[in-house]
Amino acid sequence: MTLGDGVKAAALLFVAAIVQVSIFSQVHVFGAVPDVLLVFLVSFALLRGSVAGAVGGFFAGLLVDTASLGTLGLTALVLTLSGYWIGRYGETTGRDRGHAPFLSVAVVTALYQLGLLVVHFVLGESAPAGAVVRSLVPAIVLNLILTAPLYAIVRRLLRPHEREELTAEVQLLG
Amino acid sequence: MLASSVQRSKPTPYPSKARSALIRRAVVVALVLVALTLVTISFRSPTSGALHGLQGAGSTALRPFQVAATRVAQPFRDAYDYLSSLSSAKSEAARLKKQNAELRKDILSAEARAAKYPQLVRLMHFEQEPSFPQGYRAINVAVISSPGGPFTHTLEIARGSGAGIRRNDPVVSGDGLVGIVSNVFPDSAVVTLISDPSGYVSARDLRTQVTGGVQASPAGGGTLVLNGVQKQKVVHVGDWLVTNGTHSKQYPDLYPYGIPIGRVSSVGATDTAVFLQVQVQPAANLGSLDSVGVLVPKKPRR
Repeated sequence: MTLGDGVKAAALLFVAAIVQVSIFSQVHVFGAVPDVLLVFLVSFALLRGSVAGAVGGFFAGLLVDTASLGTLGLTALVLTLSGYWIGRYGETTGRDRGHAPFLSVAVVTALYQLGLLVVHFVLGESAPAGAVVRSLVPAIVLNLILTAPLYAIVRRLLRPHEREELTAEVQLLG
Repeated sequence: MLASSVQRSKPTPYPSKARSALIRRAVVVALVLVALTLVTISFRSPTSGALHGLQGAGSTALRPFQVAATRVAQPFRDAYDYLSSLSSAKSEAARLKKQNAELRKDILSAEARAAKYPQLVRLMHFEQEPSFPQGYRAINVAVISSPGGPFTHTLEIARGSGAGIRRNDPVVSGDGLVGIVSNVFPDSAVVTLISDPSGYVSARDLRTQVTGGVQASPAGGGTLVLNGVQKQKVVHVGDWLVTNGTHSKQYPDLYPYGIPIGRVSSVGATDTAVFLQVQVQPAANLGSLDSVGVLVPKKPRR
């Protein structure tokens, strides 16, 4: 990843985190909240790999925790793992596949919600499993609606690497 | 040739790939460890310490960006609210007509009761001095961020200890009780809503004088329950609940007397339960608050 890419990605995730905390956190549709930051992070991780995804997820999560005065590190932890996992998917199976962003967003939205539920439960905080399960499908649908335009923006800003630059999981010998 | 044994060459490792996999794993493990450390420190000392100060400073630095984003989004929110109100105007008018008729009945009923029970009214005034407006001053504050999902039952407000706000100050809106200040930074504060599962508000039914504790409903959904009301006591659907206030100087209540909490939306009882099951609809719209008032005691708490 070049320096220019890094600056663009940092600016993108900063704006996404601020917009999420200030605007989208107040948008409730069928009990769910659309998550632009998560969709941006998934798009970024798919295009730039696991390390960039994890680092981006960590700092974006830290920003959200700071801006919302929540438990510091909690969102960062879940977004780090989300960014890393989607980055690995992008590096291996998901490369060049049209459905990869949609599949990633759907799966990560579910895992992100359940991950937060587990972390809150472990910390002894409020962990309303029923409310989370009820809002899961609307949350996935909302994030899927956001995926196409936001992925297009990220793809336009951060051009995908050539095939040779990506990690090859399978080596053909001989 | 075929029978002769073929020496298979030893597979050569790929040092650059192995190294990059190692770096990748090291980075993610390091980030997870840092995040876990932050969570631990933040969880163990949520209201003090260097990390708390750092988070407050970070929040203050991010404030202009949040305000700018909110201002940019405001015209869109206004347009949405306008269209939403247009679409629901007809049903809203019908609902208001019905409510108007019910309120007329309520007024007549209340007047009849007031005439019938003047002693009760005098007793209430005797027991509860009107200290609420005198003992507190209100600080009106803008809400910076609202609850963003089912996990959060907190608001962030745009003033903090610099404006005289302290922990455990009650917070109200124009409709009723909102919650209590749970964390304070120099320029901002966190308000824990009454819908938080850890919250408890001592409450009184204005009509029947029954007392109990208002807590978040285990079913979630932003509704509340009035706990600790024995089955032989009477609570009606539609009754107003207000904060019960301090009854013993030794054990002062955090909330002053008389702040509306909500209306009773259902009352039930089972054969086995000792207490009534009373559901309460909060008076304040906890999901969409633009500004709130923090009630700061004129006399500092001990």
